[in-house]
Amino acid sequence: MSSLVVSSLSVSRGGLPIITEASLSAASGEISVILGANGAGKTTLLEGLSGVIPVEGGMIAIDGAEIQSARPGVRARAGLLHVEQGRTVFRQLSTEDNLRVGLHADERLETAYALFPELVQRKAVRAGLLSGGEQQMLVIARALLGRPKVLMIDEMSAGLAPVVVTRLMTAVRKLADKGLAVVLVEQFAALALAIGNRAYVMRRGRVVYDGDCSTLRRAPDELHRLYLGG
Amino acid sequence: MNELLTSAVAGLTAGGTYALLGVCAVFTYRLVAVVNFTGAAIGTAGTFVLIALYEAGFPLWPSVLAGVVAGTIVGVLVGLVMTTWFSEANASTKAAVTVALLVGMIAIGLRLTGGQHPHVMPDLFPGSAFRLAGVEVTIASALTIGLAVLFTVLADRFLNATRTGLHLRALSERPMAAELLGVRVQLLSVLVWAVTGTFTTFALMIIAPQRSPNFMTLSLLVVPALAAALVGLFRSFWITLAGGIMLGVVEGLASSFDGVSQYRGAIPFVVVVAVLLWSQREARWDDAR
Repeated sequence: MSSLVVSSLSVSRGGLPIITEASLSAASGEISVILGANGAGKTTLLEGLSGVIPVEGGMIAIDGAEIQSARPGVRARAGLLHVEQGRTVFRQLSTEDNLRVGLHADERLETAYALFPELVQRKAVRAGLLSGGEQQMLVIARALLGRPKVLMIDEMSAGLAPVVVTRLMTAVRKLADKGLAVVLVEQFAALALAIGNRAYVMRRGRVVYDGDCSTLRRAPDELHRLYLGG
Repeated sequence: MNELLTSAVAGLTAGGTYALLGVCAVFTYRLVAVVNFTGAAIGTAGTFVLIALYEAGFPLWPSVLAGVVAGTIVGVLVGLVMTTWFSEANASTKAAVTVALLVGMIAIGLRLTGGQHPHVMPDLFPGSAFRLAGVEVTIASALTIGLAVLFTVLADRFLNATRTGLHLRALSERPMAAELLGVRVQLLSVLVWAVTGTFTTFALMIIAPQRSPNFMTLSLLVVPALAAALVGLFRSFWITLAGGIMLGVVEGLASSFDGVSQYRGAIPFVVVVAVLLWSQREARWDDAR
């Protein structure tokens, strides 16, 4: 059972505290959904976890091994993969070369194509020419080929058509069902809660709710209150 | 006519060096997104290690090896500065940092090597390689051009046919995205600096006997090198290679004309301005409309 455990994490940007004492966990086979209004600190939390920005304090552990002081590459090789928001494909490389960049020695490209068959037809196309949905599929598939223990995905639905978002959500659920631990930051709360197991709601850099997705799904008023406070 | 040909062929040695330094500049720019003003200074540092050892009586080829190793180490040190503190800075900031490093390296280099004090620079490859239309082509000329072609071919093959090359291409586009996939970004970046340090040092050792071997003069060979890189628009290795050789040939030809000869050092600046104006022509046309 792979797992991510985060305890009392604090992250600052430019000396300004953004995340304060955040604690969460993600277990193998589960999707942990992180929700919150714009500016709540969701993206900063993921960036702190993956090492894009250094953490001020707290602990991050993958399968019991602490990684909070390691560089992003070390964290990735330890099994913590971060799919950034904004569909960060390597635009000049072909779709297949994008997939090869993160390819683990024991992994095969077929794993990516099995998850997203749409990419097979586009494997020779430069990634910069793919549609937004295809680019999002590509960055998720690319991270998957790195053999992650925990996959963190930031705002994968941003700017995409609802039908594509549904397709991506289904694929992410499938990954979790195969044993992957997924941390999903998402603006579309209803969709995320529909596929998630555990929910965290953030407000002003703090985790203000930690519970089951099903509980929040049944109580939209509570979710609204958690977003806005009061 | 023969005099012109002689001058053009004489420019080949410089052209080969400009080409190699230019291709190294493109290599550094494409892979670690740095317009590197320290390229020639890194090679100059290694060259002066060779000169110091040679003047102290050490045998030639072990001194060459020590010089190349020293140039590689200086390249790695500059690379560590750039990757440790400026990896996420924009291209302008990185270029400005390398200009600052160049100034610092020249100041330290002049201090350590006695400024304009004349030095004995051994000719590594004396003699003639072959005759071209009745004009002797020196071994140094053939070697610098050969080295530039070799580096271009190797760089092209390495980037397009190896896994490390693929990682470098990814790193050049999005360093953080590459690192988040587990690519060893800092190690690869430093490797780029080490390789360019090795090649530029060896190239400068070949050309140094034909130049005034002082730290400033050799370090400022970065100007024609960047002019060559600009001809290739900092993307094409082969156009940069051709641009560097042409620059050397034009400089050589210019030395045949009395009225122009004294200004031939300005030719790289003319090329820089011409390429910049040409590359901006569409923007100017749009503005005019």
